[in-house]
Amino acid sequence: MGGYLFSVFVLFAWVPHIYGLWPIPRSLETGSVALKLANSFRITANVPHPPSDLSDAISRTVGHLRTDKFERLVVGRGSADSETIQHARELKSLTLALAPGSPVRSISDEAILPIESRSEEYTLHIPSDGSAASIEANSTLGLLRGLTTFEQLWYFFDGQVYTLEAPVSITDSPAYPYRGLMLDTSRNFFPVTDIKRTLDAMSLAKMSQFHWHATDSQSFPLVIPGFTEVAAKGAYSSLMSYSSKDIQDIVSYAGARGIDVLVEIDTPGHTAAITESHPEHIACSHASPWSQVAGEPPAGQLRFASSATANFTANLLTAAAKLFPSKFFSTGGDEVNTECYANDSQTQSILQSTGQTFEQALSGFMQTTQGALEKAGKTPVVWEEMVLEHNVTLSNETVVMVWISSQHAAAVAAKNFRIVHGPSDFFYLDCGAGEWLGNDVSGNSWCDPFKSWQKSYTFDPLANITPEQSHLVLGGQQLLWTEQSDPSNLDSIVWPRAASSAEVFWTGATLPDGSPRNVKSALARLHDFRFRLIQRGVSAIALQPLWCALRPGLCDGDS
Amino acid sequence: MRTFSSLLLAVVLATLPPAHALWPQPRNLRTGSDKLKLSDDFKIHLEAHVPQDMLDAISRTEDFLKKDHLQRLIVGRGSSDTNALTNAKSLSELDLYLESGADANSITTEAQKPIESRDEAYTLNVPNDGSPANITASSTLGLLRGLTTFTQLWYEVDGTIYAADVPIYTHDSPAYPYRGFMLDTARNFFPVSDIKRTLDAMSLVKMNQFHWHVVDSQSFPLQIPEFMDLSIKGAYSSSSVYTPDDVKDIVAYAGARGIDVLVEIDTPGHTSVISKAYPGHIACPEATPWDIFANEPPAGQLRLASNETTNFAANLLAAVARMFPSTIFSTGGDELNANCYDQDPDTQKSLNETGRTLEQALDVFIKTTHKAIEDLGKTPVVWEEMVLKHNVTLNPNTTVLVWEKSENAKTVAQKGYKLIHAASDFFYLDCGAGSWLGASPDSPNWCDPFKTWQHSYTFNPTANLTDDEAKLVLGGQHLLWTEQSGPSNLDSIVWPRAASSAELFWSGPGGNVSHALERLHDLSFRLQQRGVKSIPLQPLWCALRPGVCDAVPHTSVDGVVQSTSFAYHDDQVLDAGIPRHDEL
Repeated sequence: MGGYLFSVFVLFAWVPHIYGLWPIPRSLETGSVALKLANSFRITANVPHPPSDLSDAISRTVGHLRTDKFERLVVGRGSADSETIQHARELKSLTLALAPGSPVRSISDEAILPIESRSEEYTLHIPSDGSAASIEANSTLGLLRGLTTFEQLWYFFDGQVYTLEAPVSITDSPAYPYRGLMLDTSRNFFPVTDIKRTLDAMSLAKMSQFHWHATDSQSFPLVIPGFTEVAAKGAYSSLMSYSSKDIQDIVSYAGARGIDVLVEIDTPGHTAAITESHPEHIACSHASPWSQVAGEPPAGQLRFASSATANFTANLLTAAAKLFPSKFFSTGGDEVNTECYANDSQTQSILQSTGQTFEQALSGFMQTTQGALEKAGKTPVVWEEMVLEHNVTLSNETVVMVWISSQHAAAVAAKNFRIVHGPSDFFYLDCGAGEWLGNDVSGNSWCDPFKSWQKSYTFDPLANITPEQSHLVLGGQQLLWTEQSDPSNLDSIVWPRAASSAEVFWTGATLPDGSPRNVKSALARLHDFRFRLIQRGVSAIALQPLWCALRPGLCDGDS
Repeated sequence: MRTFSSLLLAVVLATLPPAHALWPQPRNLRTGSDKLKLSDDFKIHLEAHVPQDMLDAISRTEDFLKKDHLQRLIVGRGSSDTNALTNAKSLSELDLYLESGADANSITTEAQKPIESRDEAYTLNVPNDGSPANITASSTLGLLRGLTTFTQLWYEVDGTIYAADVPIYTHDSPAYPYRGFMLDTARNFFPVSDIKRTLDAMSLVKMNQFHWHVVDSQSFPLQIPEFMDLSIKGAYSSSSVYTPDDVKDIVAYAGARGIDVLVEIDTPGHTSVISKAYPGHIACPEATPWDIFANEPPAGQLRLASNETTNFAANLLAAVARMFPSTIFSTGGDELNANCYDQDPDTQKSLNETGRTLEQALDVFIKTTHKAIEDLGKTPVVWEEMVLKHNVTLNPNTTVLVWEKSENAKTVAQKGYKLIHAASDFFYLDCGAGSWLGASPDSPNWCDPFKTWQHSYTFNPTANLTDDEAKLVLGGQHLLWTEQSGPSNLDSIVWPRAASSAELFWSGPGGNVSHALERLHDLSFRLQQRGVKSIPLQPLWCALRPGVCDAVPHTSVDGVVQSTSFAYHDDQVLDAGIPRHDEL
């Protein structure tokens, strides 16, 4: 007994107090007692008729506890813990329970609820005496978040799975409901397996929203029932498209991991690929030089002034919306190029015959397409230009994505629209890797420099937002535009950087002890998160030499 | 007649996008525009006594031809070639010839010769009538380079393997004898399989030098039989080591692919980790705050003023030098921190006793350690500080790596040293990804910005050099320092960017980035087919439409770009007597 206490004391004195939790919970108390996972360890759900995706989540957690085999990031990688582990008590079980009166729904159903009514909060208790641990939540989604936290507490050494931080007491809930990642699957294609691996990583960081920028001017990989010709002719190849079955697979895989899929069919710009099947609907299709009529090659935009095109688009969006159970649907709306329409005789003759201005016609198009989506029960999501640069009528429910500059959030809030932060100056993962356009020797990316995890981590979601407007901020996301990415560098360009916004929007401005969140203390936990991703097959990159990762603080720039 | 054929040539040049996608571009190339199928029973023949690694290269080539399955990067991915292919001739034989009188040495032996005596020249001839193709060279290394060019000619559509631009004739040889890539395996560790995959990619672009920065202050993964404690105590883990067998394996794998391994044991700086096994030899080990003792954490340098330490270093370098057959060996020599020694009582005592300044002591250290490797027949390679910042005696044969900035090449050349371009302002692959030091919210990376392939590609190896100085330029390399890299992003941070210097130093400077891009796309896709995670340079839409995504587009009609020219150097279309099929 004396020896046991002694070893606890030594442990406390020796081991720097590091949690491997990412995002760090809002409220957290931990001790310094070691516990090891019993061979017979099991997780029980005290939930009547547990939904199958909850049972699956439990199996996954049990699997991760066994297969992560993640050694602590300390000098010796846990070898100093072996004596302690030998004498540690065993944790035999974890019990999940829903708060009395909570409805029993699948994780997938909870994850796709309207964003403000999702319940992700949970409590987690791990006693230090080996008695049963528990997670309690108001929803199966909250239970999933608790399981995710639980997985991050455990390390591996010499065949043992253990934690050094019992007792653990966590009360946790996200600061913002929208914590996302955007992936562009049009510039370059990503097979379903890459998307699933990305969803796995997102789930480990408790992200709640996969924003799927599925189509663009370069290719149209989304096979939409009733409009299959668009992908048949607009995808890079038949193998580089997403069938209805693929989409269902992705949506259910995401849902089971607490992630809602917000699909985007960008309109009326960024639609050149539609010209392959429907040239009649596209203005300035593949026009050259592209730079006068588009943000990037190839040029081509929907002839929004044409009622036939507006109806085609509304029907296309409606058909696409049926493939996705999310309440959200993004119609895009960025970078509409006026020059393209100025040079398009069809558009000009329509405008003349209807007597409409460009903006009036655009407003009509938006009302038609958004009206169709609202009829299908969807909440429209648009890029910021639709409220900041154009004079179009939008539903008050519309959610606006800020991308051009973080400075623009205040203007969107002033118009009383809900906001998702995705500003290029903080969250664009593709910046800083040089110009992708050809024949430009000295060019850099338009959004230089590279957005380091530290830069993203210091984003303030409420900068220039008044307290009265703060309810409009739903959260935010990092984004990967894929001009220079494909499966070869998906993991390495996204992870662990994208986890920084996951913590910004889950944990909020302060750490559990009330001090401000800061990059200095975050690094050790982000290393931990990164190495755990590696163990799970995600090729997240090193943030420092391993020498530094094992010695928190010793490689600080302010040493 | 002459006028007529010139006119015809001009028309062809204006309408035919170049089908060939060779990287590096041969220095002498004539191509036609016929299709040629690869026969199912295609074989490569080499008469004469054949070394084993040549036989292996032949079977690897036969394998690549069957397994690359690269579709052409054009709209339709080669489906428009199928008609032409029905009437195309088949190639069933490639004959390799060593020129009479040439030694049938192994590729490895040829690759490990002193830099300036390597023979990489070859002639490749692929007729369009199905008669045997041939490669002629005066060394097996030249034959390997020819085989490498040959594999880049072939595409696949519907199960047919074919070349799109025969007849082909090239007489090719490198502009510079040193075309390398440096990998740091100390900041983060790379398993042998990652290094081998990197060597495969290097070989595809005819690189000939793997500069292995194997150890540094952070870890010592190299197992040296005479100094086992260094890796036992200094490697990141017992599995993060290179055993002598691993070294042999890597050296042999490289050699068989025409690559010499230049190992570097960086001294006297960048040696902190040696303190784990030999604390007596290291000044200021892990001293804090690190930034007054070292350029990056952890601090720690060999006690260069100590006789014991100097002898230790000489023995260590000799032991490592014996593990590597190359005739060059790098003793490092960068970023020596004087303050570390100023504050080291041991060093101060040695200096006082001998009455030497630190520079004089460094001179003794360098002379002793360099003699140790020179006695083993090695030529020393050092980082530029050894000639630009210190006053030390070096063998005039010493080769200098220019790294801090490209302009420093001039001063190195003025001092009469042979040099390798490795400038951070052109060739550092790690730049531009943010600071890796902790507690720095938004500080830039020291060598910002990111070095694009275009930037590296436009490097001029003889800028500001006189003709005589220019002769000192052996070549150059891209470099990956691995503070923020590991196996997770090795391929994606290196490829295809590192290929830009491979072409620069093989084909010579002056290449046009606009013409290079489509060939670099081709290389990147071929690397992917071979399991190297080379990244895309553009959306696939652009890769299939050369020129259409240029920042300043060429004239274009309905998406088809009219290439104004696809030639540089003495690249030219075969004479007008060659029949052509105009596919467009």
